[in-house]
Amino acid sequence: MNPSDFAIEVRDVKRSFRSIKKEEGLKGTLKLLYKPEYLTHEALKGVSFEIQKGEFTGLIGANGAGKTTLLKILSGLIPPTSGEAKVLGFTPFDRSIEFRKQISIVMGQKAQLWWDLPAIEAFDLIRALYQIPREIYRKRVDELTSLLDVTKLLNTQIRRLSLGERMKMEVIGAILHLPKVIFLDEPTIGLDVLASKKLREFLRAHNQREGATIILTSHNMDDISELCKRVLLIKEGSLIFDGNPKRLTEQDECVLKVKLLSAPTLTEVSSVLSIPNEQVSMDEEDPTTYVITITRSKITEYFQKLLASFQVADIGIQEASLERVIQRIYQS
Amino acid sequence: MTDEALRSPELSLNWRIATIRNGIKEALAYRGEFLLDIFGSAIVPVGIQLMLWTAILRGDPNASFAGMSYGELMAYTWTSLLFSQIRGGDLDFSIIEMIRTGTLNNYLLRPVGVLEFVYFKGLGEKLLTLLFCFSLGAIATLFTSLSLPNLLMAMMLALLGNVIAYLFGCILATVAFYWENAFAALMVKNMVVALFCGELIPLTIVPEKYSLIWKCTPFYLYVFGPTQVALGKWDTSIWLREMGLGLLWTLAFLILLHLAWKKSIHRYQGIGG
Repeated sequence: MNPSDFAIEVRDVKRSFRSIKKEEGLKGTLKLLYKPEYLTHEALKGVSFEIQKGEFTGLIGANGAGKTTLLKILSGLIPPTSGEAKVLGFTPFDRSIEFRKQISIVMGQKAQLWWDLPAIEAFDLIRALYQIPREIYRKRVDELTSLLDVTKLLNTQIRRLSLGERMKMEVIGAILHLPKVIFLDEPTIGLDVLASKKLREFLRAHNQREGATIILTSHNMDDISELCKRVLLIKEGSLIFDGNPKRLTEQDECVLKVKLLSAPTLTEVSSVLSIPNEQVSMDEEDPTTYVITITRSKITEYFQKLLASFQVADIGIQEASLERVIQRIYQS
Repeated sequence: MTDEALRSPELSLNWRIATIRNGIKEALAYRGEFLLDIFGSAIVPVGIQLMLWTAILRGDPNASFAGMSYGELMAYTWTSLLFSQIRGGDLDFSIIEMIRTGTLNNYLLRPVGVLEFVYFKGLGEKLLTLLFCFSLGAIATLFTSLSLPNLLMAMMLALLGNVIAYLFGCILATVAFYWENAFAALMVKNMVVALFCGELIPLTIVPEKYSLIWKCTPFYLYVFGPTQVALGKWDTSIWLREMGLGLLWTLAFLILLHLAWKKSIHRYQGIGG
């Protein structure tokens, strides 16, 4: 692949943070005054990958895994301790004006619009900052606010909006200048199901229509599975998976859905299959069906054990949910 | 549609105006707070001076203190009030808070100078204050010896003082990149500035042998200088000289700030996710 096809290139990026070690109690606090000790935390331990232009990539990992640190490096907020990152051919931390004009970041937990002003005032400032001609700006605001159902709220102070409404305004503010690369850090955090869905549909449409490269971090696996054809999974500062999220769910785990006529207890089922109790549960939608999470390579063996021990009325295989797989990876 | 088609270069200056405009709107979002801030922050310096000069001279019109009569001291006190509201602001405190909490991110990624953006954001409110104080001064010209041209020149010097104050505050604020906070540093700075800017006392009463201290700083350009111009104690040639000196201070602080910021921004951690 031609290097110019890449929007983002990351080579062996490491980042560590130094912080003061604070011991417990007053004695520990006083000790800081005369003999401070420092801790070095390695947030990223040599991460490498490339992202093609126009890709919608998910960046996932447990809290503290290094996702946000990576986004901060890619957006130019902080430099890497070592290694090299390039975004659209720019070194992000140089923060050249041209680079800043072509990127955008939304941090779900931090408001970027002016708290005391209506969104339209903030958008107008963004228009001036990014030199968007007035006609194009007006058309785009109309279009984006209508797509996200927030047109009527344009003249309401940001602080008076609900979290979902505010987040929609933040996203509009972030893409008004049509950035080529967009970093979204938990944009659906705290949003209800409908608002999240609406935002996801909007982001997907924007990615397809404008061809923007988007990196999304989220703890909501619906965001990842619905939007991203590729995920980067970071664990304790290292990239441990890079590929289609389906590969994660297809890897080694699947779900058996079984209807048993004899209605055994969950413990009886797990002991017959010789698996831990927590791998067996009842289906939330159908309380007569057992849901068993198993290793893919042992499907035949479990089939045989179930047929030998119980009267089976129905049996089916499903992929394990992305959430379940990710949860297992975090815990391992 | 291409990027070139989306951006027109003739709009490149507009962001400053748009930022100032939003700053004004933001200041007026809390009108009561805005007015209270102007009047409230004037109470202490004016109160101290009124009590001090009345106690020392006991209202005797013939008595003088350090060469200034009671009337002159009172004129200084009331006139300096017009400029003490323009001098500073708390933008440097905002910057250290942004560094500490990571909200500086919002400014770092915009395609304009970070500190310039922050300054213009705060300038909106300051221009409102300036307009308000200028109006008060203009009314005062009707029944005092203040003149409109002097007032205009004094306001220009005060605005230059405001720029210098911001740059100096920003230089100190870079300490926050190393200590994670610089509140104490800025508080000490504020106290020193309050003493040497002429907000609490006219600097002419400082004994000659100590006057070099305030003359070596740019702080007197914030309040003392503009007050002298407004009262007609400094003529146009002195005003021009002080404006020139102010511009030199601005240039020196700009260079220093550029160096300090360039070095310390590497320490920024953008705390928070």
